[in-house]
This record gives sequence, structure tokens and C-alpha cells, in this order.
Amino acid sequence: MVLDTVAYCRRLTVAVNVISKRNFKAHWVAPTLREFKRRKVIEEDRSGGPKIFHRSTFLEWNYDAEIFAFSNRLGEKFDDSSLRAALTHKSYIEREKARLSDIGLDSNLHFQDNEALSQKGGEMMSKFINGYLRAVFTQVPEELISAMHDFLTSNSTLETVAKHIGLGDLMLCADFPCKTETYVKSFKAIIAALAESSGEERARIFVQDLVVTQLYGQDVNELWNPVDPVGNLAAILKREGKAEPEFRLIRQAGSNSILAVYYVGVYSDKHFISEGAGESLEIAKEMAAREALKKFFHTEDSMRALPFGRQLKNIQSKIEQLENQPNLPFSEWISEKVMSAVH
Amino acid sequence: MSNSHLFLPSGFLRTPLQNGLGRYIPQLQRITLKFCKNHGGSRGVRDFIESDLMEFAKTNHGTVVYLKPRRHRSPCMVAEYLNGEREYLSCHEFSRDEVHKWLSYMCTRSGIPVMRFRKYQHTDYPTVQGVWNPFTHQAPEINVAEFPHGVLSKPIDHGQTATEQLIEIFKKTQIEDPVNKPSN
Repeated sequence: MVLDTVAYCRRLTVAVNVISKRNFKAHWVAPTLREFKRRKVIEEDRSGGPKIFHRSTFLEWNYDAEIFAFSNRLGEKFDDSSLRAALTHKSYIEREKARLSDIGLDSNLHFQDNEALSQKGGEMMSKFINGYLRAVFTQVPEELISAMHDFLTSNSTLETVAKHIGLGDLMLCADFPCKTETYVKSFKAIIAALAESSGEERARIFVQDLVVTQLYGQDVNELWNPVDPVGNLAAILKREGKAEPEFRLIRQAGSNSILAVYYVGVYSDKHFISEGAGESLEIAKEMAAREALKKFFHTEDSMRALPFGRQLKNIQSKIEQLENQPNLPFSEWISEKVMSAVH
Repeated sequence: MSNSHLFLPSGFLRTPLQNGLGRYIPQLQRITLKFCKNHGGSRGVRDFIESDLMEFAKTNHGTVVYLKPRRHRSPCMVAEYLNGEREYLSCHEFSRDEVHKWLSYMCTRSGIPVMRFRKYQHTDYPTVQGVWNPFTHQAPEINVAEFPHGVLSKPIDHGQTATEQLIEIFKKTQIEDPVNKPSN
């Protein structure tokens, strides 16, 4: 499965890091190399970037060995035919057929493309991610769950994951450098191929280990912010039968200056809920309401660390159960209805 | 002691794709050993290939090993990593053990270039209780207090110092003396 055609494209060079050693070169070597570099830079600027070649155009390339190493690197067992189908793109098959028919040969190729696998894999991935999010973020409304799910399944996230497991050299596609959609499609197809080869359990663990870990370090409150937090806080407290929220100014400094700061606290029936700070009273009030909602949903800055990898062993059954069970929507959220934290 | 004179770039600890958080993925994608079949400088590489290479390939089965014999050229190894970086190392006149050592070194690297670590730890969640600000631990009474205040304007009472405690003990003994006198 070697790409015979060499594709010239415009991109930045990949740096080669040298572990340097001392050596002695003749006096003319450095000036010659400098001149080569100068001319090369001019040529590259003229043609809009350095030439890049697909790894399969190198002499040292063995596609079967690369596929074998790919599955071992991830620690998974793939069926050979499923894996190859997952890595084959429709555009490649079309290009090969066109090439063969141009030469005049019969084009009954037995390639299978990854369209169906990619579709199935995308659905499975969404299901697994939702299961994890609902099992870990038990107190959170469904809107935030979908925001986190959309972040994890976004093209940029999946492209990064696909590139870093080595799919760039293995994919058979007509475009080079490969487009984002190609990477994403291949990655989803890999998940479906894994489910076919080793079972849904292993595919679930694979998605948890590779995709869900991208949530680490990401502030979940950046992904979704409720509109009108003050009104929504009042609605939640009313639904729970508690007194309506009372906003009081707790601290202030520098009121007449540019660096003014106001701390506003939210109280319900004289019980302190949360406080928020801002440059003006309105901002501080909104921040206080946001902090109160964060406290209800257990997504404050001091929330518990997300579990990954081996820490998920005990809640895998719970995750499986919650895959098809959405959380409460924001408009119906009450603290009594949500489950207590699982982990 | 500064580090500005160093050409080595500096940075913080990082790993590609949160490696290790979910599962550990060995970052070495493929390694190419180029050597000459005749020349003496490639002897160590040739010995390594004959004896230790199979074991290496079996233990690192996530890495593809390519052998490229090139006549009249000194031996080298080129390691390619999953993040696209390459590392070149000349193996000229290496012994068989040296080749093995450097090969295992390549296995332990991720593709991130060698750099001086500014800190040996990193966290994305530097604070749990919240960063200190001048309002932390301030008594809420200051909001409605009129300054100068009887209590809040004074320094915080930390209790008696050791000297004051000794003076009190001494005073207590002074008072007790006349009580003991009649018993003498």
C-alpha cells in the first residue's frame, strides 16, 4: 500500500534535532553551507514553502509493519481487515480506480472505505463520552454536559488526538497534507474497528483514555455559561422551596477609581451561599450568582479531580448505565433530584 | 546564578496528549538504523544488529525498526516520534553497548526537544482554597465600623507574652508571702 505519487506541498519543515558531537571541518565547508542555505531560502520563499513528502515515499517504509506497531503502541488488538478498512479513505479508492482505468487496467479493487465505520464510531464515541460525563458530573445540568461533549468531539480536539497516535502516516487518502475531516473520520473509524475486533468494553476504555483525558486542565465553566444567572438562581431556589436570593455588598475598595472592586454575597434566608467579585456592582452581582450555580453543580475551582484510567475501574458499570440517561435540564434543576457524587 | 547565558531553551514539564493520564503510549514511532556493511566505523552497529536487535524489537513492539545499509557512509540512527519530531544521532565507532544504550535513551524520549526544566513539577490547578486577596480572613465587622475603633484599631491580641506571665507569677508569690508568715 505504498503511495507511488510524490506530493509537493507547502508547509513548515519538521525540525531535526541533532545530538551534537565535536568534529573538525575544512575552512570552506561553513561558507558553502551558508550559501546553500541562502539559496534554499530564496527558492522556498518563491515557491511558497518547503517541499514535504509523505512518509510512505521513503525507501524505509513497510505498511504492514507500521500497522502492526500501531496496534501494539495502543495496547489493543485489531482485526487486520477492520483496521485497514478504517484507515482507507474514499478519496484514495477513487484515485486508485481512476489511475488504473487511465492505464487501461481493470479496476475491480477490493478496498473497503471507512465511511460506515466512521459513522458508527462517531455515535459510539458520543455515547461513551456522555456516559463518562454523566457519571462524573452527576450534579450538572444537561446543557453543560452537551457543551463538554461538543468540546471533546470538536474537530480540533479529535485532530490533535489522531495526529498524536500516528494516524498521519498510516491513512490512505488522496489529500496531502491530510485535512482535518480526514483525520477525524479515520479516528472515529478506528474506534468502530476496535469495537468490532475487541468488543465494546475495550472501545469504551480506549475513548476514555484518549479522548476524555483532553478535558484535563480545561475549565468546564468556560465551555458553558448560563444566561441570566441571577434569574436562574432565583428560579432554582424557588423550586427548592427556599427563600429568594438576597444580594448584599460584603467588601468594597477604590470605589471612585479605575481599580474599583466590589464583593457581593448571595444569601438565602440569612444563610450564606456564595460571593463574587467585580469591577462594578452589577458585575459583582452576576459573578456571585454564577458562583452560587457553580457551587450547586459542584464545578467550582476547588471541585474534585476528574478520574481517569485505572480510577474508572469501579464506575465502569455506572458509566455504561448512564450512557442513555441524560441529566436534568437547567430549567428543571433541583438539588434533591440529582444523585450524590459517585467517585 | 542566571541561565540567560545558556543557548538551551527552557520550559515547563509537559507531555504530548496527556500521555500517562489515561494509558501510557510509547512515543517512539519508528527508528531507522543506517550503517555500512563493510566499514569499521559501523562495527558496533553491525554487532548490535546481529545480537541485541531482535530482543529490542520484541520488547518495543510499538516501534517500527528499519535497517538501511548504506555503503561508504558512517552509521547513524534517526528516531521519529509521534508528535512529528525527529532525532538524529551519529553512531560512528560506537561499541555494541553504546548503540544499545542510546537506542534505549531514544525510547524514553517523547519528541519534545531537550530543554532546561524551569520547575520539576506542573499543575493546571494551582490553588484549591482560592488565591489570597486583602479581604481574606478580614473580620466582616470592618464594613460597618467607624474608625478609629476601640477593638479593630488596636493590634490583634495574641495573649500574654512570656515576660508578662513571669511578672504575674512573681506578683502572685508576693501576695502569698504574708499568708505563710503566721505559720512560721
